[in-house]
Amino acid sequence: MVKTAEVVIIGGGISGCAIAYNLAKKGVKDVVVIEKGYLASGATGSCGAGIRQQWGTEMNCKIAKMSCEFFETANEELQYDGDIEFKQGGYLLLASTDKEHEQFKKNVELQNSLGIHSRMLNLDEAKKIVPHLNTEGLVSTAFYEKDGHLNPFHATEAYGKAAERLGAKIYKYTEVTGIEVENGRVKKVKTDKGDIETKVVVNAAGGHSQVIAEMAGVDIPVYSERHQILVTEPLEPLLEPMLMSFSLNIYCQQVPHGGFIMGRGDDTEPRDLRVTSSWQFLDEMIKTATRVLPPLKKARLLRQWAGLYNMTPDRQPIYGKVDEVEGFYLAVGFSGHGFMFGPATGLLMAEYILGEEPTINIDMLGLKRFESGDLILEPSVV
Amino acid sequence: MKNVELLVIGGGPAGLCAAISAAEAGVDVLLAERDEWLGGQLVKQTHMFFGSEKQHASVRGVDIGKLLVKKVEEYKNVEVMKNATVLGLYEDRVVTIQQDGNYVKVNPKSVIITTGASEKTLVFPNNDLPGVYGAGAVQTLMNVYGVKPGNKVLMVGAGNIGLIVSYQLMQAGVDVEAIVDASPNIGGYLVHASKIRRMGVPILTRHTVKEAIGKEALEAAVIWELDDKWQPIPGSEQKLDVDVMCISVGLTPLSELLWQIGCKMEFVGELGGFVPTRSDKLQTSLDGIFVAGDVAGVEEASSAMVEGSLAGLSASSYLGYKIDVVKELERDYLNQLNDLRSGPVGEKIRQGLAKALISEQAANPGQGS
Amino acid sequence: MRIEDHPVLEFKRGKKISFTYNGEKVEGYEGETIAAALHAAGVQVLSYSDRHRPRGFYCAIGNCSSCFMEVNGESNVKVCIEPLQEGMDVKTQKGKGEIV
Repeated sequence: MVKTAEVVIIGGGISGCAIAYNLAKKGVKDVVVIEKGYLASGATGSCGAGIRQQWGTEMNCKIAKMSCEFFETANEELQYDGDIEFKQGGYLLLASTDKEHEQFKKNVELQNSLGIHSRMLNLDEAKKIVPHLNTEGLVSTAFYEKDGHLNPFHATEAYGKAAERLGAKIYKYTEVTGIEVENGRVKKVKTDKGDIETKVVVNAAGGHSQVIAEMAGVDIPVYSERHQILVTEPLEPLLEPMLMSFSLNIYCQQVPHGGFIMGRGDDTEPRDLRVTSSWQFLDEMIKTATRVLPPLKKARLLRQWAGLYNMTPDRQPIYGKVDEVEGFYLAVGFSGHGFMFGPATGLLMAEYILGEEPTINIDMLGLKRFESGDLILEPSVV
Repeated sequence: MKNVELLVIGGGPAGLCAAISAAEAGVDVLLAERDEWLGGQLVKQTHMFFGSEKQHASVRGVDIGKLLVKKVEEYKNVEVMKNATVLGLYEDRVVTIQQDGNYVKVNPKSVIITTGASEKTLVFPNNDLPGVYGAGAVQTLMNVYGVKPGNKVLMVGAGNIGLIVSYQLMQAGVDVEAIVDASPNIGGYLVHASKIRRMGVPILTRHTVKEAIGKEALEAAVIWELDDKWQPIPGSEQKLDVDVMCISVGLTPLSELLWQIGCKMEFVGELGGFVPTRSDKLQTSLDGIFVAGDVAGVEEASSAMVEGSLAGLSASSYLGYKIDVVKELERDYLNQLNDLRSGPVGEKIRQGLAKALISEQAANPGQGS
Repeated sequence: MRIEDHPVLEFKRGKKISFTYNGEKVEGYEGETIAAALHAAGVQVLSYSDRHRPRGFYCAIGNCSSCFMEVNGESNVKVCIEPLQEGMDVKTQKGKGEIV
């Protein structure tokens, strides 16, 4: 293991690998990524694998759009020898109440103003896209055909390999055990395989971001919440877009492999670092999913698992520096959408660390916003 | 939700012995088996077992199975669920089971997992052709259903299963063209190997499959020789006209339930893959969750039975049942296991177990000593 | 392809059962699986993968999912463990299963 590095990134999920790639591409030598498992073994690899631009805040819309556009050409840009399996089958968001319908209309207006050409669809129109949709209890839908699906393992691997080609080093199965701070400056990252001296540390540790921040003596306003998912056996194509309902708190999509991946949010889920699974999730998930898409009653369940949402009070990420500890940067608190924001996280954080002119100004997503209380709550999260 | 004291998952040799041992101690046992019958893979073992009398040596596996099933059925405190597939083992210890299309939940105080193992496969071009079967599959087809797998067989793997199934193929009137094994040595017992050689079947060590040939099903197999570095020697190819290829390259534990509940797992190649760490009395890293048989590390059915008995005893003690002779019984089971694993044949298993064993205290941090 | 004489085993077969395989009448015995009955009748190809490759069983005990067929209109049935029943409609499966 190297003894020194210009930048040490903690976390080998999509965020960490994308930041490493962008830094290396901009000419930074000695970029190191430390990952305690394998690439994408945390939140990235356990996520629902959806890519969406239909958000309710301006920042989330911009970041998502930028990321989605990158994914469209990522195989070439990252010279990936595999396929990241980007499938743009759209997201169909289901409104169950008039209030939700009004919110969607507002969101669509905002999205349209930012170049995201989403639109409201009535239930007949929605049925044309998803013939098996049970529209009972629904009011309307919002749809954007450029949203879709992406394989988290391939996408992270693609970034990781590209970063390594540009000289970055990725240490897998290596756990960070401490961060040494001296005179208010980052000095050293300690791992179970050796220590690395560095002036710049990036916390991209997903569900474990708080643990890493504490190592540097920094308290960040995030918590990790378990979210569960299941996948069915692979089946012939039946569902083109991702289905999502905020009031039912579920999402469901059929991935290119043929399996239906679905998950749901639940306020009673544990807020520690547990990623075990529960039968209660299974029971509720199946009840809701088969109501929304009745043919699923015949599908066999293959597997269930869980991952961590790293939640912030406004459900928007925290990007940027930490004033008390010079050289300590955050790319955390993605609140369940860190995977689909990966490309933006990579580029914007690299620009930020290097003090370059930002493609999108991320100052308003800094840690300081929680002190001043200038929070804009993202309304559309499962 | 059904409350039970002890749930045994799997009705093979380990599970049956676990149920018997716990029932004998007075525990109320629920035994869940996914097949319609009990006995697991003993039903297809037509050969006589090794070991000592305690593990029914010189009795055919299929008959040992019948003996164990009869014994289990005699206990009033054992409830057997057949056709019952365990779907999940959850953080709160609730177990979900599908039986005859019904979804059942069980809440056990303790669980013994004896899910066994599944056959590994081997990578070569066209290994997915019909006619390329697991050796165990061929055994099931012949010995359980009385159906011939084909006419001419190439056996891949000269471990005990490869040798025994080759013999059984010939008993069923099927030709075995050759047995190949990539290793320079025959892995199985020499007594089996000599018998097969005497019947005229060549055992080619340092040989492996280059490819399978066939359109809709296997028509031929190409094998080639390996050098000292396990690399194929070009020009050494031989084409064999066979319609069945039996893959007998080992088994790997069916450990999904252990992963799901969060038992600490360790990769131990000698034991077939990822196995749970466990105390010598077979408790996993989780309190009250025990393992026995192939899921704990791939071995012979004889040791699976002894492990089952030991795990049943451990679970009984965990549940608070006082057994007068517990120490003696434990010692006896541990001695039997030592005997079965002794000598050069048991060396691999001993090495593997050394990596999977944890001290009683580490296995059971909550209880101290 | 059935074993009639065996030095160790005696096969007590159940009563004869007829079922259809791709529309044709085939006979098997009660107590055996669909895969065993088909194999005895000389059928090895159970399905074609979505890359159009022929597939047979591999493990024959329900572990590996290589033996999927369409049984009574239901896809992805593991025929290596599915008991044969009188009048069953068994078809070669093509590609992934369908639920509509």
